[in-house]
Amino acid sequence: MAISERPSVPALAGNGGSAYVTPSSSMGVFRRPVSTTGWRSWVFTVDHKKLGIMYGVVAMTFFVIGGCEALLIRLQLAAPNNKVLSAGAYNQMFTMHATTMVFLFVMPMAAAFANYLVPLQIGARDVAFPRLNAFGFWCFLFGGIFLNTSWFLGGASDSGWFAYAPNTSVAFSPSHGVDFWALGLQITGIASLTGAINLIVTVLNMRAPGMSLMKMPIFTWMILVVQFLLLFAIPVITVALFLLSFQRNFGAAFFSVEKGADPLLWQHLFWIFGHPEVYILVLPAFGIVSEVLPVFSKKPLFGYKFVVFSGAAIGFLGWGVWAHHMFASGLGPVSVAVFSVATMAIALPTGVKIVNWTMTLWGGKLSFTTAMLFATGLIIEFTIGGLSGVTHAVSPSDTQQTDTYYIVAHFHYVLFGGAVFGLFAGFYYWWPKVFGKLLNERLGKWNFWLMVIGMNLTFGPMHILGLQGQPRRMQVWTDFRAGEGFFNLAFWNRVASVGSFVLALGILFFLINVLYTAKKAEIAPLDPWDARSLEWMTTSPPKEHNFDAIPHVHELDEFFHRKYEEDEATGEIRQIATYEDIMAEEMAHADKHFHMPSPSYWPIILALGLPIVAYGIIFQRILAVGGAVVILLAMFGWSLEPSVADESDYEPPTDGGTTKELATLG
Amino acid sequence: MTTNQTRHRRWALPLAGFGALVVLSGCAKDAPQDTWQPAGDNARKIDNLQQPVFMIAGLVLVIVAAVVGYCVFKFRDKGQAIPQQSHGKPALEIALTIIPALILVGIGIPTVNTLFKLAKTSDTQCVVNVTGQQWWWEYDYPVQDGCGGISAPIVTSGQLVIPAGQKVLLRISSRDVIHSYWIPKLNGKRDAVPGRVQTLRLQADQPGIYAGQCTEFCGLSHAYMRMEAVSLDAAGFKSWVENQLAPYEAPAAGSTASQGEALFVSQCSRCHQVNGILGADGTPVISRPDKYVYSGAVPNLTNLMTRTTFAGAAYDLMTQDCKTALWNTPSAQFSAKYLEGVSPECLDTVQLRQWLRNAPAKKPMYADPAKLVETGGKYRGMPNLGLTEDQIDKLISYLTERK
Amino acid sequence: MADTALDSPATAGHDDHAAGHATSTGLSNNKLAMWMFLGSECLLFGGLISTYMLYRGRHEGSPTPSQLYNIPLTSISSFVLLMSSLTMVLAVSAAQRRDDRNTTTWLTVTALLGATFVGAQVFEFTEFVHEGLGFTTNLFGSSFFTLTGFHGVHVTVGIIMLMALVGIISRSKFPGDKAEVVEMIGLYWHFVDIVWIIIFTLVYLIPS
Repeated sequence: MAISERPSVPALAGNGGSAYVTPSSSMGVFRRPVSTTGWRSWVFTVDHKKLGIMYGVVAMTFFVIGGCEALLIRLQLAAPNNKVLSAGAYNQMFTMHATTMVFLFVMPMAAAFANYLVPLQIGARDVAFPRLNAFGFWCFLFGGIFLNTSWFLGGASDSGWFAYAPNTSVAFSPSHGVDFWALGLQITGIASLTGAINLIVTVLNMRAPGMSLMKMPIFTWMILVVQFLLLFAIPVITVALFLLSFQRNFGAAFFSVEKGADPLLWQHLFWIFGHPEVYILVLPAFGIVSEVLPVFSKKPLFGYKFVVFSGAAIGFLGWGVWAHHMFASGLGPVSVAVFSVATMAIALPTGVKIVNWTMTLWGGKLSFTTAMLFATGLIIEFTIGGLSGVTHAVSPSDTQQTDTYYIVAHFHYVLFGGAVFGLFAGFYYWWPKVFGKLLNERLGKWNFWLMVIGMNLTFGPMHILGLQGQPRRMQVWTDFRAGEGFFNLAFWNRVASVGSFVLALGILFFLINVLYTAKKAEIAPLDPWDARSLEWMTTSPPKEHNFDAIPHVHELDEFFHRKYEEDEATGEIRQIATYEDIMAEEMAHADKHFHMPSPSYWPIILALGLPIVAYGIIFQRILAVGGAVVILLAMFGWSLEPSVADESDYEPPTDGGTTKELATLG
Repeated sequence: MTTNQTRHRRWALPLAGFGALVVLSGCAKDAPQDTWQPAGDNARKIDNLQQPVFMIAGLVLVIVAAVVGYCVFKFRDKGQAIPQQSHGKPALEIALTIIPALILVGIGIPTVNTLFKLAKTSDTQCVVNVTGQQWWWEYDYPVQDGCGGISAPIVTSGQLVIPAGQKVLLRISSRDVIHSYWIPKLNGKRDAVPGRVQTLRLQADQPGIYAGQCTEFCGLSHAYMRMEAVSLDAAGFKSWVENQLAPYEAPAAGSTASQGEALFVSQCSRCHQVNGILGADGTPVISRPDKYVYSGAVPNLTNLMTRTTFAGAAYDLMTQDCKTALWNTPSAQFSAKYLEGVSPECLDTVQLRQWLRNAPAKKPMYADPAKLVETGGKYRGMPNLGLTEDQIDKLISYLTERK
Repeated sequence: MADTALDSPATAGHDDHAAGHATSTGLSNNKLAMWMFLGSECLLFGGLISTYMLYRGRHEGSPTPSQLYNIPLTSISSFVLLMSSLTMVLAVSAAQRRDDRNTTTWLTVTALLGATFVGAQVFEFTEFVHEGLGFTTNLFGSSFFTLTGFHGVHVTVGIIMLMALVGIISRSKFPGDKAEVVEMIGLYWHFVDIVWIIIFTLVYLIPS
């Protein structure tokens, strides 16, 4: 394994974690940092769990920013010819709302779950390339900050997240917004690509003994599919973004129609990335609910193999449907027919998932915790989004629906009712694993119901708005085209605007719940949900090395099968072991040595060079050279630093401790 | 389980009907861009295709919601034993995959069928070139035998005028970014892509007026890029064509309108063409919008008052009362009513004055001369011309005669 | 993306300590990661090649491709690059024999051959510019320079990795302990070579 070794270090298992680490003050360039407390322990960390938490915190922050942008959009649209936002500000707002939610919230939040949970679910001690993992996180953070600084440096991108050429050319979008957008996404793209390679290798190579692919937890499976999608989708958008940057910054001709360019080239490249991207956003959430529903139904996932294969089928078919975003572009009837039929075909594996979730509930023993509520809510809300998706597959009717609010309704049911509900189910389900405390259930119920009501009030009316002719991306609508009667489009626009604030209130309840939980002292039980998979077979939060002993896997849902057994005579399921029994047994053959990687200075420094280059390309080329120097030096340092911290980096323990190993996080 | 499901199905259908009723009663009456109220053959083909799809989708939703709802109440933890750890029933899975597959085949065949019917161009009877640019549409009618015969090219904007009942072929393109042409009651949308010419069929059953909107995001003023399609009966369309091609009539010498004409030549004619207008030296004035405007075109104002909108159909030339009266005119009388044009009583001078006073304040445009570096000094939109109130009076009086 | 490629040798250094650990697939993490990265690169070049194929006929304002291309010169430089794959194979086989001397020799030869190729490319680019085809001239120019430029950057990154590897191996105390890194960079090098064969065929040999 690529995880590097420390000089032999005694195991901490069972000694209460009372280890002392006193890092030396030296900041040797070719030594590795050793801090285990304070900001250094986070900034230089290569621990997948800390990085997972950081991904989550940053993504949540961007979620709030993107949400505020959405509220401003809905305020502007609450009344006809409204003047909350100017046309220019409105265009920037919806561009950045989409960009933020897609690239800076849902994708990295899924990365947060994947980072934290995948090694735990497969019984590994870290990911395959810990420093690369840290580098990915910093790329995401710096890319996100870089993108958002455009607000203060001449205006954000105003060309939509789809950025159709030639509207992105300098003549049509003269501010630096599109440059920030293209280069910022390039930087976050590096995060996605390195993350994908890292997680694929981790899942394929580092599974616990006995865990064959078909015994892998379904969340890990869905993450694996998503990483393959990223692996092949990111380079396509990379090409598109390079062409765009070359066009804007170096005078290339790729989208200059007067030189004979074809504007549809961008659309093809963008959607070849963009459609797999939809599944990149939603499959992690599918994985989460596929974990949550069985636990709270006390049943295995119905048709595990079908769910795995349908996930993989979505992963393949997702590459053959991109042009359904272009039914009005004029592709010609033959192409449109092919992509229509392919799009209908992809409804099948998606439908399989809904059937399997529902059948998981059937005959179960359901307990409606907040996590379960979100998961159940997802089944219904996502079904609505999926079904409206089928109506777009009918390409002639799509020519009526596309670029109207009906589409906005559709993808918010998919991405909010699907992806976001899944992520929230994950928050409530895994919070005690990550932080050792249970989120408050009463606040959780408020959180859930306000979000359900809010999202249906916001996005439900958009079906009507779109079918009755309100196009999207419009700064203003007029009374005249809103029609007559009380329930006219003006009414539904107001309902959607009110709904958006209800939705925001629901999310506020989540944030309150987080603060409330952080303040309370009560520690969660170690197996609070009677869970089924490996991540629960260790402490909460897990120690830095995750498992004292790497578990040997015999079954799908290994943890459950160690706790329960079917009575062969009566067929009853009865408990044969408790969490404590299983942990004691694991402890008995705990490993003596853990080989954990040391923290490193270089991932953050390397990532820091990227936005400097990007600012340089936009404003002052010499700065780009400076950024390149930072990158080269960081690579140099990265290559030459030792694989472990040196003995002399640690000061001798002061309290008679015998180890310089890290204390457990808990 | 099967009995339970049949029981659900029994009340699922009425429930779906009820749900559909709620949704329909919740819709606006007479929303001008309603996609479910086709007014022509092409839109009707789409509507006929989509109605059953929506019904099926609604039914599937009701079934899924009912089953989930049933599970939520029936299998709630009431202290029952831990269920069997069954990993699923492949037969059920396969059945539940085949059923939706059959439904999709049932949807797919008519989809492809309709698609090819809508793409057919060989049977169209009348051609209009439609060109989008930031942020308005130009309609030009080539010389043709179709459309009842057009003997000389017509260039107009703001409203697409077509003969009712005829199959019209739009040849759609763009002069700058991608736009999309959409009159929901007549057909779905088609993108206007620069460098390409794409086709769209339109046909209106009856004389009348139909609203539309640019539906591909096209920059700053996308929301203000609207369109209206007007269909006239055969006689009405013929007289519309004749009127468009009628020779220019200069205002009576010495009138306010005549002063307005001189002002138009000095202030507006650099970009806006009025066919047949003569300069002070008696030669025809040919406008050169390509010198001043990035897309290279601006609306032709020869017959401004025959159409009822301006500024990319973002604003009405008519007062609201007159507009409402026009839109509500029964189709039998509609052609005559429309051909009256904008009468002086109906003219909404408030909007037009605001526009002439400061166009960029009325509709977002790139018209600040200091900020046109990237377009080589060319405008995207109409700048503020700094006209005095007196000049505006004269111009309006001239424009009112452009019928 | 070059970052990712450069990362690997460093991580590989750490990997040696864990050489005894078995992975689930039996393939080492580093090699698997390189395969994945190259899979991703296929799509990158796929996008660039598609763009070139779409635009290669749109050369208004410049000489046509067939007037510009110096097929004999490019054939020779392609042959040089092809030969570098052979020397790379020799380097890998020497590394597996723990023969550090020969490894560094062959790696250096590979890098020199690669540098010859890049040099020829730079010469070709300057020639084209002199003949009237710049990056901004027309669509053919933009897409030609982008595609071949991206490939040239890949070769250059490969040369830097080869030279860094030569430096690391010559300081290494344990002969043959970088064998896996040599193999990994070999994978990368062969990939870049194969991509060039595709580019050479599509761009230079098949007339538009």
